[in-house]
Amino acid sequence: MNFENMSLIELASLIQEQKVSSVEVTKYFIDKCVEKQNLNAILEIFDDAISQAEEMDKKIKNGFKGKLAGVPVIIKDNILYKGKKASCSSKFLENYVAQYNSTVVDHMLKEGAIILGRANMDEFAMGSSTENSAFVTTLNALDPTRVPGGSSGGSACAVAAGLCPVALGTDTGGSIRQPASYNGVVGIKPTYGRVSRYGVVAFASSLEQVGPITKNVKDNAYMLSVLAGGSENDETSLKIDVPDFLSYIKDNIKGMKIAVLKEVEEVVKGLDVEKTYHDVIKFLSNNGAEIINASIPDFTLTLPCYYIIAPAEATSNLGRFDGVKYSRRSQSATNIDDIYLKSRSEGFGKEVKRRIMLGNFVLSSGYFDAYYNKAKKLQQKLKLEASKVFSVCDAIILPTTTGEAFKIGEKVNDPISMYKEDLFTILANVLGVPSISIPCGKGKNNLPFGIQIIANNLNEGIIYDIANFIEKEYRG
Amino acid sequence: MKKTNVTIEEVRRLAALSALEFSEEELQAFVPEFENILELVDQVKNCDVSDVEVQYSSHKLSQLRSDIAKDSLPQEEILLNSPKTKKGSFCVPKMLD
Repeated sequence: MNFENMSLIELASLIQEQKVSSVEVTKYFIDKCVEKQNLNAILEIFDDAISQAEEMDKKIKNGFKGKLAGVPVIIKDNILYKGKKASCSSKFLENYVAQYNSTVVDHMLKEGAIILGRANMDEFAMGSSTENSAFVTTLNALDPTRVPGGSSGGSACAVAAGLCPVALGTDTGGSIRQPASYNGVVGIKPTYGRVSRYGVVAFASSLEQVGPITKNVKDNAYMLSVLAGGSENDETSLKIDVPDFLSYIKDNIKGMKIAVLKEVEEVVKGLDVEKTYHDVIKFLSNNGAEIINASIPDFTLTLPCYYIIAPAEATSNLGRFDGVKYSRRSQSATNIDDIYLKSRSEGFGKEVKRRIMLGNFVLSSGYFDAYYNKAKKLQQKLKLEASKVFSVCDAIILPTTTGEAFKIGEKVNDPISMYKEDLFTILANVLGVPSISIPCGKGKNNLPFGIQIIANNLNEGIIYDIANFIEKEYRG
Repeated sequence: MKKTNVTIEEVRRLAALSALEFSEEELQAFVPEFENILELVDQVKNCDVSDVEVQYSSHKLSQLRSDIAKDSLPQEEILLNSPKTKKGSFCVPKMLD
């Protein structure tokens, strides 16, 4: 059977009904990972995946029921799975082994998932192309000369290339949605707090969330219902009931109020994605949605706001990597200062160092008020501006990226140009609200564009409803 | 807006704060790179936020758990990832004479 063309929901149902075994499915996807290893999407296939699947097949025979019973899942390399390496694609954590499960892994195991392996990423999730991985650069699943996006580039590539039915990413400034867009798959950044971050290696704690990357919208909604839910180990996670997100998909967008931002209209002019963006708006309007012209006046400041807050948090979070507690210590260090200096200097890559330096700059005495405080106030102002939009609209529509996936090497030596990749995705992180990217149309190189639907806090249901409606049209 | 100048001394200070070592060449390369990044983030300076209160805990969603002691991970497991340990402790070179 050709499992790679099946949806996650179909596959889960086939295994649950014992029409196919988990072992059969798991072996199939392992073979795919090996066959397509030139993509560099996967850093490691876990050696006990088959034995996990054998165990699960026995459980299913004995009546076990779970949303992911026997379904293989790939996780990003910054998500902890007990007893397995989680390197964040960094030399620093090359041999780090997780001592406990992240909440998301626990949630998946409870529903019967088989954790198949770990996916490549930009080091510590800092980057937009996986070129910052200390190990390999992942290729775009649709064009091997181009980047898969990042930082969850390995995960998005894996789903698009049929290496697994679903993969997990993390999104701090667009790291799920941008690679999903570049590989023609679906990725959501849930509401901040919707999914527990416990056991996910922190980069910018106040901005990031774990989310699923899938082939279609319904699979995504199905998977988020598994991942969501608070944990007492993460005080920023929400201890609220998790809805069945699939139940929000009604196939009817009549009367739905969708905002188009004036500021985005200006930025999008002349970009490759412009026509597709306007086509999707027209499609929604033709099908009964009410398109509302709205404004978030400080939209263009989301990028600088993010590039102050995120490095500030990163510099603090990465302070724990000192050559004493985790994994790496420089062989040439002879005293305690050397241990800090040399272990960090040898263990971190260029972009990570750049962001640590920038973080220390914006937090340091004399600059704190002008940068960090100002950015935090600006974040608050943006939330007020957005709340006015959400008081009259159900959702906001935005492009995910400015165009198709760019060429490998094209931006790697130009940090500013790489940072601008996040132009449209950062808004949702700065606001904390949920946002999905779905594939819509193609560019001149026949590669996909992504369109984002953003909604107010906890309104992932509305997002899935609109996204599914668009998907039906654009999937052809 | 006037471009923020970055000096090599400033870069050295940041490297020290960051506990990172760089070659002289790398330090020099940071100067123009940092100026370009600051040109991007300096845009926030133009924004009027005088009527906004700063909120460090940015998402008013935090919930605390009950303050009840629970078992933590065993010491041996915690130390497994340390590059050097001795008698249940992290081990570093001698710090005091």
